[in-house]
Amino acid sequence: MIMTEPIQTVDSAQVIVRAARQLREIVRHEETAPLAVLEKFERWAAALNCRALQQVPGVTFLQLWLRRGTLEPIVLRELGPNGLAGGWFEDGCAHLRTFPLGVIGHWPASNIEIQPVLSLVCALLGGNGCLLRVPSGLVEITRRLLEKLQEVDPEGLLTRRIAAVSFDHARTDLMEAMAQSVDGAMIWGGEESVSQVRRLPFPHWARLLVFGPRVSAAAMDAKTWGNREDRSTWCRRIARDVWQFDQQACSSPQALFLERGAGCDPKAFVDDLKKAFEEENQAHPRRQIEPSLSAAISLTRALWLLGENGRAAVFPPSPDWTILLGEGPHMPNPTQGRTLSVLAVDDLLDVISKFDGTLQTLGLGIGDSKREEVLARAAGRNGVDRIVKLGRMHVFGSPWDGTELIRPLVRLVRHVQS
Amino acid sequence: MSAPAEIEQGIESVLAESPYAVDSNLRRSAVLELLKKEIAYACGRNTRFRNYVEHWPINFQEARDISDLPYLPVGVFKADPLSLVPPENIKRTLTSSATTGQIPSRIVLDAPTARRMAKGALTIVRDFIGSARRPYLVIDTPENLAAQGQMGARGAAIQALRSFATEIVCGLRSGESGSHELELDKLVSSAAKWKDQEVLVYGFTSVIWTQLVLPLQRQGITLAMPNIHVLHSGGWKRLQQQSVTRDVFNHNVSSVFGCSAHRIIDYYGMVENIGVIYPDCEYGNKHVPAFAEVIIRDPLTLAPVKAGQRGLIQVCSVLPTSFPGFLLLTEDTAEVMGYDHCPCGRKGLSFRFAGRVPKAEVRGCGNLESTRYKQEQRSGLA
Repeated sequence: MIMTEPIQTVDSAQVIVRAARQLREIVRHEETAPLAVLEKFERWAAALNCRALQQVPGVTFLQLWLRRGTLEPIVLRELGPNGLAGGWFEDGCAHLRTFPLGVIGHWPASNIEIQPVLSLVCALLGGNGCLLRVPSGLVEITRRLLEKLQEVDPEGLLTRRIAAVSFDHARTDLMEAMAQSVDGAMIWGGEESVSQVRRLPFPHWARLLVFGPRVSAAAMDAKTWGNREDRSTWCRRIARDVWQFDQQACSSPQALFLERGAGCDPKAFVDDLKKAFEEENQAHPRRQIEPSLSAAISLTRALWLLGENGRAAVFPPSPDWTILLGEGPHMPNPTQGRTLSVLAVDDLLDVISKFDGTLQTLGLGIGDSKREEVLARAAGRNGVDRIVKLGRMHVFGSPWDGTELIRPLVRLVRHVQS
Repeated sequence: MSAPAEIEQGIESVLAESPYAVDSNLRRSAVLELLKKEIAYACGRNTRFRNYVEHWPINFQEARDISDLPYLPVGVFKADPLSLVPPENIKRTLTSSATTGQIPSRIVLDAPTARRMAKGALTIVRDFIGSARRPYLVIDTPENLAAQGQMGARGAAIQALRSFATEIVCGLRSGESGSHELELDKLVSSAAKWKDQEVLVYGFTSVIWTQLVLPLQRQGITLAMPNIHVLHSGGWKRLQQQSVTRDVFNHNVSSVFGCSAHRIIDYYGMVENIGVIYPDCEYGNKHVPAFAEVIIRDPLTLAPVKAGQRGLIQVCSVLPTSFPGFLLLTEDTAEVMGYDHCPCGRKGLSFRFAGRVPKAEVRGCGNLESTRYKQEQRSGLA
């Protein structure tokens, strides 16, 4: 029954339990080396390159991510030099080998269109079976993406390892059945949803990987943002990071901290950033918005400008984008919806010292590599898990949220010859 | 210090008009010019408001339409009343009816603003129930009737209708445990005394249902008052939770009072837009008086929507000069029914309330699906 239809609408716990049992049998009896999985992903990536899917947000990124060139280094780093071929490798007097954890339950968030697939890929590389709960809003998109996998995997090397199900979020009995049936879980989302899933009755041995909720920020030194020649390029990178996933991803920058420098005017920088936002908006206009977000954006604009003296803002009459300009080292409450606070500060280290574990990614534009090392070290100490160049804040890779993506989903078995 | 004479005269002029008879274009044009003057005045009185207006993407002095003017989201009054008058001129502070755990909005009224707001509400209600003074039955406790320096939404709504009253009777009293109890004897004797007279009844929608209708029905009591008008406001959220629809409410209230269901009038209003209320006409539509405007904005573009479309409600009023409540984007949604089309004869925009926008929630890497689902259900835009 697995993957005859890419996503099955489920109304009974029995169906979930049966699907998990089938998956476990397949995992136990049919081994897959990561190399074979990578080859399949490469073909899946090619199949996704079709006009019908180009409107799906993130598909271009997904195509790149599924390429062997992207995933092979992750496999090698996480599973070691023998990770691609599978099999035993020597470790002193013993032999080691990775085996799949078993059946992995996936609870992706419903606001990132490609997240169900990203989550699956990690578990499949470990040879696991996947019980995927597709959020109701993503059923159609996920179905279309999985159909492409079916096309390139007629023999079912991967598709037989996937049971994608859809059911009402209020069906606690089905959520519980799913949790009870898995050996591990990848849980994505906001505080409420993550807490709800974690409370489900997982087996005591189940490994839970939780991603979210986190926020992210960007920071630039004066040498970088004050340089007029490169500024528009940096602004385009920032706009790209803000636009992707409508600024709702963990890795979306909510604030940009500009370190002050002699002769550098943040207002001039915001002028260039405004142009970049306008261009990005023209290239990627928003097609829908929740009324609550639209109202929240209006309120954020007003509260900002009605607040302390000296604050400024740039925004169009629509809720398309907002730049709030002010100063101070504190991370503002995020509004999302393409609302970026640009805050001038005297010292980026002062900003970083105020981070706590909620900050996931720090996007940097720093002219001096030594200085960047200092900032990265401070960021790591203060709970930041990813420090990347601006424009690459959403490049999904391992580790994510400070956690590797494949290794936690495999068991490393040690064999000492008798 | 009150607003300049030019503004005072402008407001008085539109207030003197028949509220729903003015040609739409003339009304919009008059309101636009008056609002521009009021915004300029407010900018001179409050530097933070001026900072907001100066950063608005359209220069308000050059605006050709009310929809281009800088509006404030109502939520700003939770943070600060944004007074335009010195403290000694503040006559009253009104607070909104925030639900548990929420911060209420606060707005400040000076004497001229309070006077205009009373007049505004009176003008509107007259158009619906006539101008005769009559007994006023308040489905609330006497504590909410007293005019205080600090007043909640319920008190403000009760006070707004006070000038219709020849006498006032409160139908509830505060119980020992802080709960409200029905003044049954007083209610029955008043009903017997007023009988066929015109009577005005006002109460919060949920209070009328839980404190009056249900207790009277339990005891099988009917008040024979065929000539009353029951005005109610405050929203349907609590009643919806009990599956009480508008029809069920109207049917039961009218049967308790022994009157026609047409005499039950629901109105939309808020403390921040005080002085302007939006009662349902006999065709179920809400209308905009001469001294106000309503704009329904598409959440995607924040541009005004067309007839048949839904969006966020923006209320506009020329009445306040003690706080910048001229142009307010609410957290409610409505559907535009049409322009100058309602069979009731009232001119201008007609609209119907659709629902409340739930509070936006910041999501980490991921929406709470349950929240999004609930939002879509509640917003009325799904």
